Amino acid sequence: MSSNDILDMYIYETNSLLEQLETIVLDAEKENTFSQDNVNEIFRIMHTIKGSSAMMEFDSLAAVSHRIEDMFFLIREGTMSVVKDADRPALFDVMLRAVDYFREEMEKVEAEEPLNKDVDSFLANINSLIAKIKGEEPAEETPAAPPPQAAPAASAPAPAAVPAAGSGNPDFPHELRVFFDDGCGMENLRAYMLVTSIQSFCSDADFLYEPAGVESDASTAEKIIDEGFLLMFKNPENREKSIAVIREAGSVRSYQPHDYVPAPPQEEPEEESVPQSNDAAAAPKAAAPAKAAAAAAPAAAAQQHQKESLISVGLSKLDQLSAIVGEIVITEAMVTASPDLKGLHLDAFSKSARQLRKLTDELQDVSMSLRMIPVSNTFQKMNRIVRDMSKKLNKQVKLTLIGENTEVDKTIVDSIGDPIMHMVRNSMDHGIEENVEDRVAAGKDPVGEIVLSAEDTGSEVIIQIKDDGAGVNDEAVLRKAIKNGIASPDVEYSHKEILNFLMAPGFSTNQQVTEFSGRGVGMDVVKSGVESLGGTVSITSEQGRGMITTMRIPLTMAIMDGMEVSVGDSIFTIPINNIRSTLKVTANDILHDSVNGEMVKIMDGYYPVVRARDFYNLPTGAEEIGDGILMWLESGDCSYCLFVDELLGEQQIVVKPLPAYVNSFDIKNFGITGCSILGDGNISIILDAGGLFAAARGA
Amino acid sequence: MSAVNENVLFQIQDETNPPVMEETVESRKYLIFITDDLRLGVDAEYVVEILNTHTATYLPMMPDYIRGIFNMRGQIIPIMDIRLRLGKPPMESESLLVVLNYNGTQLGILVDSVEVMLDIPNASILPIPSQSAQKLVSGMCTLPDGSGTMLVLDCDQLIPHE
Repeated sequence: MSSNDILDMYIYETNSLLEQLETIVLDAEKENTFSQDNVNEIFRIMHTIKGSSAMMEFDSLAAVSHRIEDMFFLIREGTMSVVKDADRPALFDVMLRAVDYFREEMEKVEAEEPLNKDVDSFLANINSLIAKIKGEEPAEETPAAPPPQAAPAASAPAPAAVPAAGSGNPDFPHELRVFFDDGCGMENLRAYMLVTSIQSFCSDADFLYEPAGVESDASTAEKIIDEGFLLMFKNPENREKSIAVIREAGSVRSYQPHDYVPAPPQEEPEEESVPQSNDAAAAPKAAAPAKAAAAAAPAAAAQQHQKESLISVGLSKLDQLSAIVGEIVITEAMVTASPDLKGLHLDAFSKSARQLRKLTDELQDVSMSLRMIPVSNTFQKMNRIVRDMSKKLNKQVKLTLIGENTEVDKTIVDSIGDPIMHMVRNSMDHGIEENVEDRVAAGKDPVGEIVLSAEDTGSEVIIQIKDDGAGVNDEAVLRKAIKNGIASPDVEYSHKEILNFLMAPGFSTNQQVTEFSGRGVGMDVVKSGVESLGGTVSITSEQGRGMITTMRIPLTMAIMDGMEVSVGDSIFTIPINNIRSTLKVTANDILHDSVNGEMVKIMDGYYPVVRARDFYNLPTGAEEIGDGILMWLESGDCSYCLFVDELLGEQQIVVKPLPAYVNSFDIKNFGITGCSILGDGNISIILDAGGLFAAARGA
Repeated sequence: MSAVNENVLFQIQDETNPPVMEETVESRKYLIFITDDLRLGVDAEYVVEILNTHTATYLPMMPDYIRGIFNMRGQIIPIMDIRLRLGKPPMESESLLVVLNYNGTQLGILVDSVEVMLDIPNASILPIPSQSAQKLVSGMCTLPDGSGTMLVLDCDQLIPHE
């Protein structure tokens, strides 16, 4: 494994952990608490990030994750009740900021840019939170635990700032609290070494130390990390001498003399923190996650197991696989339909060929499914956006996700993120009403709702972003469009046309440019983004009721089932998904309308007839309706009949894009989406039923 | 319909560094072909291969000079009839297909016949007279053997459509 592979693995692993972390934090924020499972999970995530970052020598990342790990160690020990309600929003914020911070740094790592070394302010933030959490601790834990007297300085109102009864010792009033370097390891033994050096000038009877048993009990190390090592002396002289000893000792981060008599809160020890040492994974700490895993609930354990059964594979390998599978499918057809076999009766051969066909089908299905991933990750990211924006804009909004498990091709998932994000921001910013009163007055739930849904229709994915906000104000949009020179003031526009202005370049209806949206580029970016995937965007809106944005994106199946049809010398492939049925009719069944259009009655409806030969100006093909066959096609909301010569049979085909040169002639607008190589080496042209009908109607 | 019988007359392996560049005298190899009595030359660097049979699949809704697409070992390549592109009547008899790869865009062009491959010094290629209305040509030169004049096919104009 080269170092690059290791780096890739590190980035991939860290990013997936961050995704997991963000989901946990966002869910927890709704509950306003972390469950013990969550805490364990976060602890584990932070521990992994810390370890791998230290290994990759990203010290700043290791430092931050270390502090967060420390924080969650406290929370894990004391359960979530150690965090006061008042501090919880800060905790969630810090965690989300940490996710952002790590993500940014990961991007830098990926781009091979230098990392942001200046993490002090962020660390201070975490530290103050830790201090607050610690401040609460004595109230929760058994009185036996000595309260940290120095730490709670930051949370002045907390009662714990005053040392609770039972701690310290009136007979040994002169205290000295020693903190070791973060991650120096073996804190308990270092403490014991201090004790032995102190013993050289101070009799055992003249001083005490806490926690006791440092020489034998390794678990005291954690307590020393959290609370420092507390020395208590009978007289101040010995303490002075000890300070000299401690100054000499290695790995001491800070020490703090303190008198037993409650004194005004002193400086926080963390503020003196010195840069942390790199060998962060200290032995006693390494034991902690193991404990965490053991303590985790069965559900968490199951999750863990599931994770282990996953492997990550480079997308290029999958692409290679699909390409080879595609070739196999073609070759299989070439072999079994070989002209050399004509007229031969080969029972064993046909049997084996059938078996081969079945296996290649399966192979194809499997290789296809490898590239399919659920949209849930992309959807989950919107939770974060809605949360951040509802805080910033002070709007109460909930996000409902539907159909998160819809699976689409990896490349599509990657490219729909931005358009969806843009629309969600748009809904948050422009859609949902400024004032709750306006919502209540309109008879709506005071809490706004944005529904994000995904649906797989077989040939395309439909993604909808729906809000129940104010909807589009046609007049305002039109005014703006006229102002921006997109619309002409003399023309009367329909509702639909006005909505289309929203997607024109350089249009943004918001009065002010906000942080989130309205930078002049907007919906047109969404539109071009979706169109580059071969999809379409449409907007519907009712004023006062909200707005719905619908994106239809083809699944871009590399391999699909199609029906081969012939029109004269040309062969076309129509996706099986679009075919409702085929029927043979006579000229008498065809009805004519006043503009030379043809229709046919099927069951209880009339459907337009499109003649493929006429539409595509093909040189050859059947002219009489009776000589050909009608294919009843459906795509989205259009339903019509396509007249072709002959059905050649159903076949699985490998979709190949048309050459870029050919695409530059806008051939896609005529319902020609790609082509496929048939078993005999000929090419068939793949038709898109929806696009064909749209073009035929427009023609 | 039989499988495509690709009869390869001439083929250049994909070379990232054409040898032309290494020669001391600045010259390039040109493939010279005939189209409607015109002698056209195309930089041999762009020529992938020359085929004498192919099965074109008619592609609707394209300009008439695009004769369709064909399958060259799994690659889909559009076919352009140079005669029609230049506004000349199409050739009735069999023609040859020269497959070009110009900056990643592959295009097959139908020509009447292929004549010869020649080294032509860059200096001897002269610009066409500005008043000439000849399309798709970036320069011209007299052939070294004095057999005629070659027009240099301009792939830049040929590949993107107007």
